[in-house]
Amino acid sequence: MSERFAYRDNREAYNAARVKALESLLVEKGIITSEVVDKVIRYCEEDIGPFNGAKIVAKAWVDPAYKARLLADTPAAIAEMKFAGGMTGVEGENMQCVENTSQVHNLIVCTLCSCYPWPILGLPPYWFKDPTYRARAVREPRAVLRDFGLELDDSVEVRVWDSSAQVRWFVLPERPPGTEGETEENLAKLVTAESMQGAAKVKPLPAH
Amino acid sequence: MHTSFEQFAAASMLGQTDAPPRSNGELLFQRTWEGRAFGVAIALSKKGHYEWEDFRRQLISSIAEWEDKHGNNDPEWDYYQRWLLALERLLIEANLLTYQELESRTKDLLACEQGAA
Repeated sequence: MSERFAYRDNREAYNAARVKALESLLVEKGIITSEVVDKVIRYCEEDIGPFNGAKIVAKAWVDPAYKARLLADTPAAIAEMKFAGGMTGVEGENMQCVENTSQVHNLIVCTLCSCYPWPILGLPPYWFKDPTYRARAVREPRAVLRDFGLELDDSVEVRVWDSSAQVRWFVLPERPPGTEGETEENLAKLVTAESMQGAAKVKPLPAH
Repeated sequence: MHTSFEQFAAASMLGQTDAPPRSNGELLFQRTWEGRAFGVAIALSKKGHYEWEDFRRQLISSIAEWEDKHGNNDPEWDYYQRWLLALERLLIEANLLTYQELESRTKDLLACEQGAA
C-alpha cells in the first residue's frame, strides 16, 4: 500500500474521531444535544431541496404576475409558496432570482466558499464547492458550461453571479418549447437543480 | 445584525415539530462524520453560540489556506475537512472547547478504536 493511501485511511479515522470528540464534549458540557444535530441533518435531507425551487420556477412560467413579483422581490415571492419550515422571515431577503432568456444565460457560483440558496435548492452539489469550479466559473464560464454539456451561441451573453453572505443567487431557467398548456405540476417535474444553478437548460418533455 | 440562509434554514427547522418524511433520494453526506460536523455547526449557530457569519468567515479562511498551498486539481481536496477545521477553530475562539481537551478526547477515541479492531 502506498504512503498516500495509508495517509488517507489515517485521515479518515482521524476526522471521524475528531468530530466524535467535538460532539461528545459539547454534549457533556450541555452546550448541545445529539437530537438537535440529528434534526438539522434530517431537515436538510427531507425538507429542503430542488423540489422547492422547481415549484417556484413552474409557477413563474404559468403566472406572469408571479414571475414579475419573483424577479422584483424574490424573498416575498418565495414566502408566498409557504414551503415546509415556513420560509418567511428577514433572512429570506438574501435570495435573488435572475432570469435566463434567449439572449442572457446566468450561472451561479460562490468564489470564496459555498454560499447557496439552501431553502429552495438544498445543499450544494460536490462540484459547486470544488476549487476548480469556483475559480473557473468566473474566469471562463463558457468553457465551464461546455464541460457541463451546454453549448451556447456566441450571441448569448453569459452572466456569472457570485453568492455571498449578502445575496444567494439562483436562476429562473427558460421554459422549454413544446410545453404550452402543461400543468404547473407537470412543469415542476421538468425543473432540475442544474437548471436553477445555470449549469443546464430545462429539457423539453419527452416525445409521447 | 446580519443573518444568513443557513441560520435561517436552522431557525425554520428548529421552530417546528417533525415534518412528514420526504426523501429526495439524494445522499447528502458521503461519510457519517460530515453530517455530524455539518449539523453541529448549524445547531450551535441556531442556539446563539456564534453568528453564522462567524462560521462562514472561518470556512472562507480554511478553504483559502488550502488553496494557497495546493493546485485546484489536487485530488486531496476535501470540502468537509475544511469545514471541520473551520468548526474546530470557531469552537475554540468562542470558548466552547479548548484545544487541549479536543486533542485529548480525539486521542482517546482513536486509541479506543485501535483497541477494538
